[in-house]
Amino acid sequence: MLRRILGRGQPVAAGVPAATAEPTQPLETETEKHDYAVASEWELMWYKFKRHRLALICGVVVLLLYVVAAFVEFIAPYNPEAQNPAAAYQAPTRVHFVDAEGNFHLQPFVYGTTSQRNPDTFELEFVEDTSVIHPLQLFVRGDSYRMWGLFDANLHLFGVEDPNVRLYLLGADRQGRDMFSRIVHGTRISMSIGLVGVVMSFVIGIVVGGISGYFGGTVDLVVQRIIEFIRSMPTIPLWLGLAAALPADWSILQIYFAITVILSLIGWTGLAQVVRGRALALREEDFIMAARLSGTSRTRIIVRHMVPSFMSHIIAALTLAVPEMIIAETALSFLGLGLRYPAISWGVLLQEAQNLRSIALAPWLLAPGAMVVIAVLALNFFGDGLRDAADPYKR
Amino acid sequence: MSVAEQNAARSSDTARARHRLLDVRKLTKHYPITEGLLRREVARVRAVDDVTFHVDTGETLGLVGESGCGKTSTGRCLLRAIDPTSGEMVFDYGDGRVVDIAKLEGRALKDLRKDMQMVFQDPFSSLNPRWTLLDLVGEPLVAFRVAKGRELEDRVAELLRRVGLRPEYLRRYPHAFSGGERQRISIARALALNPRLVVADEPVSALDVSVRAQTLNLLEDLQQELGLTYIFISHDLSVVQHICDRVVVMYVGQVVEVADTSSLFFTPKHPYTEALLSAVPKPDPDLASSRIVLKGEVADPSNVPKGCAFHPRCPYAVDHCRQVEPKLETLGDGRQVRCHRAHELSLSGVE
Repeated sequence: MLRRILGRGQPVAAGVPAATAEPTQPLETETEKHDYAVASEWELMWYKFKRHRLALICGVVVLLLYVVAAFVEFIAPYNPEAQNPAAAYQAPTRVHFVDAEGNFHLQPFVYGTTSQRNPDTFELEFVEDTSVIHPLQLFVRGDSYRMWGLFDANLHLFGVEDPNVRLYLLGADRQGRDMFSRIVHGTRISMSIGLVGVVMSFVIGIVVGGISGYFGGTVDLVVQRIIEFIRSMPTIPLWLGLAAALPADWSILQIYFAITVILSLIGWTGLAQVVRGRALALREEDFIMAARLSGTSRTRIIVRHMVPSFMSHIIAALTLAVPEMIIAETALSFLGLGLRYPAISWGVLLQEAQNLRSIALAPWLLAPGAMVVIAVLALNFFGDGLRDAADPYKR
Repeated sequence: MSVAEQNAARSSDTARARHRLLDVRKLTKHYPITEGLLRREVARVRAVDDVTFHVDTGETLGLVGESGCGKTSTGRCLLRAIDPTSGEMVFDYGDGRVVDIAKLEGRALKDLRKDMQMVFQDPFSSLNPRWTLLDLVGEPLVAFRVAKGRELEDRVAELLRRVGLRPEYLRRYPHAFSGGERQRISIARALALNPRLVVADEPVSALDVSVRAQTLNLLEDLQQELGLTYIFISHDLSVVQHICDRVVVMYVGQVVEVADTSSLFFTPKHPYTEALLSAVPKPDPDLASSRIVLKGEVADPSNVPKGCAFHPRCPYAVDHCRQVEPKLETLGDGRQVRCHRAHELSLSGVE
């Protein structure tokens, strides 16, 4: 199919017969060739991107993460702030298919637990009560929440019907809050801070990079030296300094935006360099000169020729910038200088797990770290795939 | 100077200018080499240096020389793709309007695009890969608001047919075409506004030998059909011999010889032309190769040798050549040569 045609590098350009020659191939390949011949840039990119399996899979993961970020209240089985002192540091609830009598159930289920203190170590120990089976169910009524500030609801994607039985898929924290729900809620801030930060970097980067590449000469020289200067600054101390300067009485939302601004202050440099590089490369392209010689106006050349040539590269660069932002937010929050309780982000969750007791007795509290790794890897591979596909015309 | 004033200024020699489409006088393009933050000029590249030639309507003028001799820069100056440092390029629209291209601005410069177009060397870089043939070939028509919608499609289809491509390729993208076909697309675009002069910058040198001849024949056919005038930039003398009526030979930014094609090929007057001609491959294997291998490299245009720019490589150079820069001299029958020894040397051309 198309992949076969594309798989051979540049075969179709060479394979299309001379203009006047009659088609000799069977009909099927003719239609394929026709599809390829009329395929736009985005279609070509899609063919190329599809061949990069890992990037495709990671793209799906990224998409899922953002779907989760959009519907956290619905996906999380519990309110992330719901405390349960009796369940402090409870280990992840085991999901069973086979009951105590050895019968297999198609529907997964959990047992309720009772806690008791170990007389020797004074630790709370949790024992499963195997007398009652609580099946896991989809679309369960539970804690009520306000969806996107628009309407009230209490429907959750999954859970147990009995409100007295708590499902701790990833265990509970010091106050008996469900880690799984907290991680799901953290997805919203952690994933979106990358996007919002990147949008700001993007604006600064495209303006500065565009100016640098378009004017060239002295302007370019000065801008490039400034970028190198900014890049040479150690980021963590700079962020620390800026974050420490934030007023303590700011709301979560204000801090959130202040942090994105701080992150983008450094993040824009990479994007500016991508834009500049493309602008310089484009200046050399004959088709820009051809457009000028055809009488096309400067505005039209920028809008119809230059911006579309940039676009795919910029999208790839943006995707690769998002994980940097996520890492940066996590690092700042972990150090206690980024977002703070009551905000929930992966970094905040990790900061809460920052003690020996968590590591020794409740390693599931480090699960947000795994989420950071998954998100960053997925975005990186996805971005790599996009970058490779960004220029389907490379010869 | 306004168009009217220029017309008045030139009315005295209208008779001579009747067949003259373009008159290039003392065209110069220098690129400064700068250093440091303050852009201090440390040297200048003399890409085009005091170039004078003319083009008559309906002819094909060849512009030949080694790479870096300034032929492409000259072509681009003619179209104001780059701005010349100095000099005049007088263009006759043929309807009484005579303009100096070097002085055109804004609207008047845009108007020139209708009558002067360019075909580029690289058929890959000269077509935006994101555009369909309709957009690409129709670009000048849209820019000048000549046609749109259904009419635009018809015009573009007609142009495609004219250059030997199927009109149903309208919706295809350039990546579906070979180099030769892309060059046809490029030619169709250049012809869209019905220009009088087309500057073809090495239009076939990026193509396979097998499609070169086709493309050259297409250019010749179009010239006959549409009464086009070509400036044909090339380093390939066999192509030049095939297609050009007259030839301008350039060396390090300067014109060294101007002659009609047959005189130039049979009786070159400049030692550089002789050396170029000796390098043209001959189809007969029995002929002994008498190739003149030039010593050294092409002179650095930012550091042109004193005297005759060609003297370090010239087998006939004498002391005079090393001291005094020769002027472009006019010999009989429209020939011009820049060589002190043009009268005494007897140089060999192609047999």
